[in-house]
This record gives sequence, C-alpha cells and structure tokens, in this order.
Amino acid sequence: MIYLDHNATTPARPEVVEAVTRAAIDYPGNPSSVHTAGRRAREAVEQARAQVAVFLGVTREEIVFTSGGTEGDHLAIRGLCAGAGARGRRGVVTSPLEHPAVLGAVQALGQGTGEPWSVTSSRVTALGDIDLAHLESAVGDDTALVTLALVNHEIGNVYPVARYAAIARARGAVMHTDAVQAAGKLAVDLSALGVDAATISAHKIGGPHGVGAVFVRRGLDLPPLLVGGHQERERRPGTENVPGIVGFGVACDLARAGLSTECVRLERLRRDLVAALASIAGTRIWGWGDEPSGGQGQGRVPGTVMVSFAGAPGQLVAIGLDLEGICVSTGAACTSGSVQPSAVLRALGLGPEEAGQGLRISLGWTSTAADIRHLGEILPAIVERVRAAVSEPQPFSGGARPTAEEAWS
Amino acid sequence: MKGERIVVAMSGGVDSSTAAALLVDAGYEVVGVTLKLTDATGTSASIGGRCCGPRDIEDARATAALLGFPHYVLDETATFKHAVIDDFVAEHAAGRTPNPCVRCNEKLKFGPLLRFARAVGARRLATGHYARLVRDGEGPIPALLRAQDRDKDQSYFLFGVPAALFTAVAFPLGETTKDQVRHIARRFGLPNADKPDSQQICFVPDGDHKAFVEARGGAGRPGDIVDENGARLADHRGTHRFTVGQRRGVPIDAGDLQRRFVLRIEAATGRVIVGPREALQTHVLQVSDLRWTSGRVPEAWPLRCGVQIRHRAAAAPAWVAAPVGSNCAVNLDTPALGVAPGQAAVFYDGDRVVGGGWISG
Repeated sequence: MIYLDHNATTPARPEVVEAVTRAAIDYPGNPSSVHTAGRRAREAVEQARAQVAVFLGVTREEIVFTSGGTEGDHLAIRGLCAGAGARGRRGVVTSPLEHPAVLGAVQALGQGTGEPWSVTSSRVTALGDIDLAHLESAVGDDTALVTLALVNHEIGNVYPVARYAAIARARGAVMHTDAVQAAGKLAVDLSALGVDAATISAHKIGGPHGVGAVFVRRGLDLPPLLVGGHQERERRPGTENVPGIVGFGVACDLARAGLSTECVRLERLRRDLVAALASIAGTRIWGWGDEPSGGQGQGRVPGTVMVSFAGAPGQLVAIGLDLEGICVSTGAACTSGSVQPSAVLRALGLGPEEAGQGLRISLGWTSTAADIRHLGEILPAIVERVRAAVSEPQPFSGGARPTAEEAWS
Repeated sequence: MKGERIVVAMSGGVDSSTAAALLVDAGYEVVGVTLKLTDATGTSASIGGRCCGPRDIEDARATAALLGFPHYVLDETATFKHAVIDDFVAEHAAGRTPNPCVRCNEKLKFGPLLRFARAVGARRLATGHYARLVRDGEGPIPALLRAQDRDKDQSYFLFGVPAALFTAVAFPLGETTKDQVRHIARRFGLPNADKPDSQQICFVPDGDHKAFVEARGGAGRPGDIVDENGARLADHRGTHRFTVGQRRGVPIDAGDLQRRFVLRIEAATGRVIVGPREALQTHVLQVSDLRWTSGRVPEAWPLRCGVQIRHRAAAAPAWVAAPVGSNCAVNLDTPALGVAPGQAAVFYDGDRVVGGGWISG
C-alpha cells in the first residue's frame, strides 16, 4: 500500500507507537489520584504538556489537552465567544475555506440561548487567499472572534495569520487559528503570530488518534464544553488520555527536530509529483503553486497538492487508485462518507462539477520517491479510464448498438 | 471468470450481500458499491433500517469488511430526487399510481453503476435482483427471464432498463430461492442474514404515501366522488388519496348495500368515479412509452403474450396490437380487475420478458 493522504492522518511514528504502548504499561493510574500511580501519570501528562508547549512556542499553562481537532476548535471558538457574547459582542468573522469543525462550531454559537450571532465570511481570491481589504472591513466593534486557519487542509496555502491577528486586536476581537494542518509542516510559533487561541491535533503530526491540544493565551477565560471535572484547570473535564498525550508529546519532539530537513525533502518530492501530474492533459493544480509572488499569502506547505483532471470526477479517480493500493483523498476526509464536491474548491469559484474533480494528494514522513514514481506510472491510465466511462453515452454499449429507447426515436 | 474485477451493487439487504458472497467465493475480485439515494440523516428513517438509508449503508459496509473486499458509496441523491421522487409526486398529482421501483431500475440502478464499473476497470456489474439473463446466441443483448424463485421474481421491475445495459450485467441470484439465499447468508455469517425484506417504498419509510405527496406539492384536486352516472355521492380531500380498485374511503351504495370501488380518477376535474366490482373489469389496456427488452421490436403483430399488470400478479394471456408510435393496445383474454394507470404492463413470452410500457388507460 502506498499512503498519500497525510493531511487526513499521518501514520504514527514508530517511536510514538512505542511510547504509547509503554505509557499504557508504565502509567496505569489516574492523573487525578493522590497516590503514587496517579502522581506518575500526572507527571507524564505534564511532561507532554511541556513538549507540546515548546513545539508551539508557548508556555505550559496555555496548553489544554483535548480529543483532537474538532473538539479543540469547538472548545476554543465556543469558549472564547461565551465571554465576548456576555459583553455584547456577537459577531464572528471566518472564511468559506475553513475546516467543517470550525464552521460547525461557528454555526453552533447562540444555539439554544436565543442570542443572535452574526457570521461574516471573508472573501476569497481564485488562488485561495483571504481578501485582506474585505477582512479589515468585516471586523468591527461588535466582532467577538476572528477564526481563520494557518494552513488550508485541502490546498495547503499558508495564511498571514499574524496580520489577521493584528486586525482582530485593533478592533478588540480575539483571534483563533486552526493550526491542525500547519503543525509539523512549518515552524509554528504561536506567540510570534500573536493569536489568542489555536488548535492542533496529534494524528496530523505522527502522533496517535484521539488526542490534540488547544492553546489559549494566558489571562483568557476558557469555559469548558462539558462539566463535572476539574481536569485541565477546569477547562476540559474528563480523565486524561494518558498514553495518547504521552505519544503526542513524543510526536511534537520528533516533528520539531526533523522539521527543516523534512520540509526540504517533501518539497523535492512535491515538485516530482507536480511534474508527473502535469504530464496528464487537462491537469490543474489549485491554490498556491510555484508562483514566486502575486498573492499576499506566504506560499504553501510542502507536500500538499490539490489537483483536478478535467472530465474526471475525483471520487472515481480516488477509487481507481485505491483499487491499485494507493490512498489519496477527494477532499476533507470528514465529508468523504457521502461525497460532496470540495467546499474549498467551491470557495475558489469552481462550479460543482469542477469542484467534484478535486483530488488531494498529501505527502508526509513515510513518502518516498518510489511512491511518487509508482503513482506517476499508473495514474494516467486511471484518469483516462474514468474520462472514458464518464463521457460514453452508455457504458459497455460499445456505442454502435441501438438501445430500446433509440429503437423508437 | 476467476480474478475478474466485478462491481456488486449493495443495498445493505441480504440479497445483494449474498450475491457478493457468492462472487467472492467464485474467485472474483469484488468491488462493492452502495448508492446513497435519499438524505435521511438524523431522521427516524435513518434508524429504521429501510432500503438505502445510512443503516443500510452500514450493513453493506459491514458485509464488505467481513468478506474482505473494498466498498464505496456513490451519492446519487440528486438524480434520485429528479428521476424517481419528483416523478412519483407528479404521477400522483396526475391521478395515476406510479411504480417508483421500476423507475429507479430504469434511471438509476444500472446506468450510473455501469458507469462506475467502467470507471474502476470492472467488466461487469452484479446486483441481487431475482431475475435471469440468458445469452441465446443472437447478438450481444441477453434475454431477461423470470427468476427460478417465482415468489421473489423481480423481472417485472426490470423491463424498463435499456436493454443494451444488460450486456454487462449479472444476476447471481437468478437460479436461487430466497430460502437458499438466507441459508447461504447464514453460512457466510453475513450480518444481515435474517434482516426482514423491505416492504415499503424506500423513500416513504412510514408507508404514508398521501402525506409524502402532500408535503411535496403533489396533492390532487379535492372534489366529488360520483357514481357511474355522475351522481354525486360525497366529497373528498384530493385525488391523490385514491387508486383505481381501491375500496377504502368510498361510500357504500345505500340502495343495495353493495361495496363500491374506485373506477377512474379525473385529475383535471377532481372527480373520483366509483362503481360496483364488475365495473372494474377491463378488457383493453392502453399502454404507452413502450420498450422492447430484447432491444428489437417484434415483427409479427398482433403479438401473443402474457401481460403482467402488477408485481406478483400472474401474467394474463393477451394479444398486443401493433404499436402506433410508442403506444399500443392490449386485449386481455379474460378481463382484469383494478387496472391502475401509471402501473407497468410487462409482456412475457413464457419466462422471457419481451417488453412493456406504462398503463395510460
């Protein structure tokens, strides 16, 4: 199997698997317990917290462990908005490029309370940048929160979040960034970005599934989503996922240590991949490519390629590849159960048919030059087969035989 | 053929799951696919286990996982709404009694799935239908035959499928009885081996067709219930609430206490004409939108055949007159009761489906 869907999940690194396994044996206690076993488990969690904090350039007290990206986005967005809403600010500014977890959390604001919240969606350019002038005009005195991702999950664009944070700050709003797709792909220094809150997830950086973290700037209140426990300084009740958190810490260390060499390696692979894709007629790459300048974005992360082949639905190409043992995605994996055209490509201005042609290939630590070569060898025939199937008036009819309907026309 | 890639359409029910199991057992490289036809997310229908709901998708997925082949979901909700649900509502509004399963087979089950099969490099599509396809030497289009299991035979629902599509279709259950299917399913340990057969129309899980049609703007005119002489007997709340042959909701003849039945529905005026059981008898049917399942128009007219006018009814001996355009008249040897416009009339030569069309009058 060739795995080219790292933006969905990056396989856990062997060191992480070992650390998780060992933690399950070594730390059998509950971190809240007063006894030795509890204390040890607590120490392991706190050590991991320090590892995550260093990875993100923040302090330990600012890290809250969660179950992953979706919970983190909800905790940060709903938590920060609770306070602002009480002060009369009931506006959120976001963009149509955001992950469904962010959009879901934003839509949930005010539900059941009768508080009317307004949501403003930033304009997006064809290259997938946020229209800065529009953003500036959209953030006002009633804006509670601006939430915009640091890296897009489908097209891999990197966004100038420091500028967004400055805009938010100038209007008295708080800034949250979903950094799930940024962590491990570029150096993330949340302090330097000036954001108030951020979300990351362990399984996107070589850690285990089911664990993540929210950064929330010291001094900001973060009311919990669930109640009934004091854990995580009353910000996230529930017994900590000790093995997962330990593995997460190890993954942060590994990602930090290998980041610069890995970026260079993946960028080289990405260029090989783009060259292979370009040999197929009707190929388009979406988001930032190799343009030297032109947008106000900061380029893209290495290893993420959103491609489309004219006339070939992305789902059918992805299935064709899957049957040959190659894993890629048609967009956010969360929406792949029932296949909807990529919302990100729709936001770039593509129609439903074109947006349905998107195919996301994302590389990571397991990816090799041989993977890309193999993909390049079998992809052209698969795209060709899909195009033929879609364009035939009637599949398998051979084109010459009259159908029952034609017999009457 | 061993190792041949074949796509199996999986509804999540025991039939298509067993078809898949038989093909795996025979050495095919099976690719499972389930059509998502309605969006019932979060509704009670999604839990009830009706055809094509999320529960069925899970059952199909579980079967594929158990048997060890890949399974995918194709979202055809937009086509299904347009080709089947909207048609169902419009037919009711027009005073007819539609058969959505025939429409679904005609418009959805085979075209999109064969396209899928072609796209993924398979050479054939298999479904769990109870019917047989026989290649008898003349050209590439196989003949469609009734299933071995007469109780489960679904050839009636399949007559509208464009004949050329059958060249790449297989019905692995055509020679198998339902009892055998359940037995095979249990032998393979399939999760849905004892799942009951679906009885309702998949997109009306509670069986309340009237409410479904009303909610979608398909309510027929309210009007009068009249006898054969036009005398008004009662009023009613919409023609879509009636089907030809129906007795419920029709007032009894006070004179001789005889039960009366719906004879005709006039959508334009809102009149529902009722009368005694004998008046339901029909000798001649008008059939429109004809198609010939073999892909060839018969040459000798009138055509002697058996005509089936509803699911599970026996085919009645009849003469089919030479078509005018895509319409024809069918003369039944013995009159049929309760022939509802909108239902399919399917022509059989013995077990073989010759063709058919939709009853227009």
